[in-house]
Amino acid sequence: MKIALTVNGTAHTLEAAPDARLLDVLREYLGLGGPREGCGIGACGACTVLLDGAPVSSCLVLMGQAEGHTITTVEGLAKPKGALSAVQQAFIDHRAFQCSYCTPGFVLAATALLEANPAPSDDDITEALTGNLCRCGSYRNIVEAVASLRRQG
Amino acid sequence: MSKHTGAPVGVGVPLLDARERVTGAIPFVGNMRVPGMLVGRVLRSPLAHARIRSLDASAARAIPGVVAVVTAADLGKESGPMLQYGRNVKDQEVVASRMVHYVGEPVALVSAETEEAAEAALAAIAVDYEELPAVYDAQEAALPDAPKVHEGMDSNVFVHAKLRHGDVEAGFAAADAIVEETYTSPVAQQTSLEPHVAIAQWTPDGTALTVWTASQAPFAVRTALAGVFRIKEPSVRVVVPPIGGGYGGKGGMRVELPAAVLAWFSGGRPVRVLLSRAEEFVTVTKHAASITIRTGIMRDGTLTARQITCHWGTGAVVENSAALVRGALVRLVGPYRIGAVHVDSYGVYTNLPSAGAYRGAMSSQATWAYESHTDALARAIGMAPVALRRRSLIRSGDTFATGETLHEVYFHECMEACLERLGWDEPLAQPGGSLRRGRGVAVMMKSTNPVSRSECRLELGADGVLTIFTGTVEMGQGTHTALAQVAAGELGLPLERVRVQGPDTALVPFDTATNASRSVGMMGTALLNAAAALRERLAEAAAPLLDLPPDQLSVADGAVASAGGRSLTYAEVLAGGGLSRLDATGEHATNVGLDPQTGQGVGSPHWHQGAGACEVEVDTETGKVRVLRYVGASFAGRVINPDLARLQNDGNVIYGMGPALLEEMVFDAGRVMNPNLSDYQIPSLKDTPDWLEGVCIEHEEGEFHGIGEMTLPPVAPAIANAIEDAIGVRVRALPISAERVLRELDA
Repeated sequence: MKIALTVNGTAHTLEAAPDARLLDVLREYLGLGGPREGCGIGACGACTVLLDGAPVSSCLVLMGQAEGHTITTVEGLAKPKGALSAVQQAFIDHRAFQCSYCTPGFVLAATALLEANPAPSDDDITEALTGNLCRCGSYRNIVEAVASLRRQG
Repeated sequence: MSKHTGAPVGVGVPLLDARERVTGAIPFVGNMRVPGMLVGRVLRSPLAHARIRSLDASAARAIPGVVAVVTAADLGKESGPMLQYGRNVKDQEVVASRMVHYVGEPVALVSAETEEAAEAALAAIAVDYEELPAVYDAQEAALPDAPKVHEGMDSNVFVHAKLRHGDVEAGFAAADAIVEETYTSPVAQQTSLEPHVAIAQWTPDGTALTVWTASQAPFAVRTALAGVFRIKEPSVRVVVPPIGGGYGGKGGMRVELPAAVLAWFSGGRPVRVLLSRAEEFVTVTKHAASITIRTGIMRDGTLTARQITCHWGTGAVVENSAALVRGALVRLVGPYRIGAVHVDSYGVYTNLPSAGAYRGAMSSQATWAYESHTDALARAIGMAPVALRRRSLIRSGDTFATGETLHEVYFHECMEACLERLGWDEPLAQPGGSLRRGRGVAVMMKSTNPVSRSECRLELGADGVLTIFTGTVEMGQGTHTALAQVAAGELGLPLERVRVQGPDTALVPFDTATNASRSVGMMGTALLNAAAALRERLAEAAAPLLDLPPDQLSVADGAVASAGGRSLTYAEVLAGGGLSRLDATGEHATNVGLDPQTGQGVGSPHWHQGAGACEVEVDTETGKVRVLRYVGASFAGRVINPDLARLQNDGNVIYGMGPALLEEMVFDAGRVMNPNLSDYQIPSLKDTPDWLEGVCIEHEEGEFHGIGEMTLPPVAPAIANAIEDAIGVRVRALPISAERVLRELDA
């Protein structure tokens, strides 16, 4: 069936099964490499995207559920060769990744957190990001990167 | 010829491709799309040990969209892939012909236009099995009457490595106390978030193969594939873009083989094999280990003798485990002055998935045993655990159990750095209630590959850009960035003028593998040699332009200069000589080893050294352990990039908390019961210590020294030692689950 949704600011009408996973559609139909499968069951956060601004595991979202919604992947945060988003830049400045397979998921989860709560405490950051796994163990730098964007006062 | 000074070595810069990493643009293999690419899938054995009575794939072949179905009957012909293969031992089949030996063993391969067609084909292959007795535990499997994992074997023990140093019986006789304990580690899984993935494509005439793969060992994969297809190595091209974590799990040929075999049968079309998370758990694992360690000690802390027996559960496939089990001999001993040492390291087949290196390979299991044991020894003579370590840790000039004299020894410095940062001597506040806090420390010693080789080629272009051609795999550890920093320093170029061409066996010279924390030491030294050669080439090229002999020219800061002050940039040298490029190659090789009967000789070209100390809180009502504070220290020689070094140290500790507290593959009749990231948990942000520090012990004139593992193996014993300090019980089985702690408390 035809399913309409907006991805990174562009409206798409795609031919997809309603039970197709959003993750597969983003990767295979739209060629986006940012959302990545790590576990397939919503346990690792590597496939995190923003659905109407809220972080979701795109491996658990079916196309029927995504219909009519606005999706943001990490590719939607910065134009090619354009300025990086504040979160992306903070991740670089704080060296907040190693292999970076998990990084798009963390960047999006952090983006959503800071949007909803511009002055998160360290506990807020931990709570918001604990659903994203980093096997390389860059957590300390990730928290520092996000904390650096905390709005003061 | 002077060397450049003021090199960017020692400066913390981001990974060279940081932008690609935060924008999702990094070209992981899983993101590659080769035109015409087919889906490759593997049908796997549902049983741990069985005879295949019959296999019928005819229905699968008839499914629309299915391109190739490969069974054992298709293999071992005059040309094309052989049926049997193996790295240390030829104990594997591309797909099982008559027998299966573990749950997950490949039985048939399918390539298809779509996932759906491939899935349908797998379901349509009919296999009739006759189940056979199986054995899962390495010690049971080593018994004479155990079921044999492979037909025709007398024993499931495929290697028994021995180390014999001194008279242990005399040592035990002289001891004031003897402590014997057994420590176990379960099967675990490396769990890189990027699964194993490979794409293979043959040329239309079937003479040359290209494989794009997420591998830590491109040249080993090339050798293995060339062997299976009986073609020359240069006919196989292996390309490895940055990979999404390896941790040892991507160190051998795994998915590259089914991809290449399917591509062979798919009419020149490329085939991708991408493992599911569940398949990861049956593809490569961490060795289960049972280590019995017996040590004699004098009242003053002198260690008189040590006897170690270790059974390594290897699964049904040796892959590289014969080498790992032999290599484990020296990793089992511990960094101590011990009068006499005997080690027996047994590699044992079981009916489980294949084991391989798991970050801190063999050392994690070994350190779990010997560092928990060090605390037990201290208690046996009423000495503080730290005091015993201060007395008995190896120092420079001491003789190790291999008979070799050790130099550049920093175990004491690593331990003391941890103790100081943690505040070991500060009073420890007890929160009260059911919560108890304690502190623990552990030290480790690990060998790197005794025999290995790295080559590096440098190419300076007419535009003054330097390209490093290296077989080192970039898997997040940052070696490409570190190598670029070294090269920039050696040639006096800004980092922006240095490029890295990573592994592509058609373009880069040989490297053994990216494993055993060897890359900055081995490839780094090869690079230094290449840079020295390139400076000579530059001086030679500039000599006629400056009318001076090469030895009167200096090469530094991007220019060739005479003592008189005349100077040409590299680009001017190349232009003046009409050269489009200048290149030079450097090599670094090591070749040490042990006598196979006695384990005497040289165990490692250099030794990895690390330590950890921590403060834990145990809830005596629930058994839950929290690591409050942790500090790890390793000997780093000379740090190239302190920011990346910190990440490696953090990564070691956090990774190490997995096997320490969480990770265990649970089996029922050889079937993995928790092959997913919900039931097999790896450390999350909430599992990390509240406070974490890493220390690199440096030596001014030190060599580059890998630090990708050193602070990992101490994690589990440091935590266990802290638990005993807190609540007085000793856990001897990993992981240290709440249940285990409670059981020990109730005992």
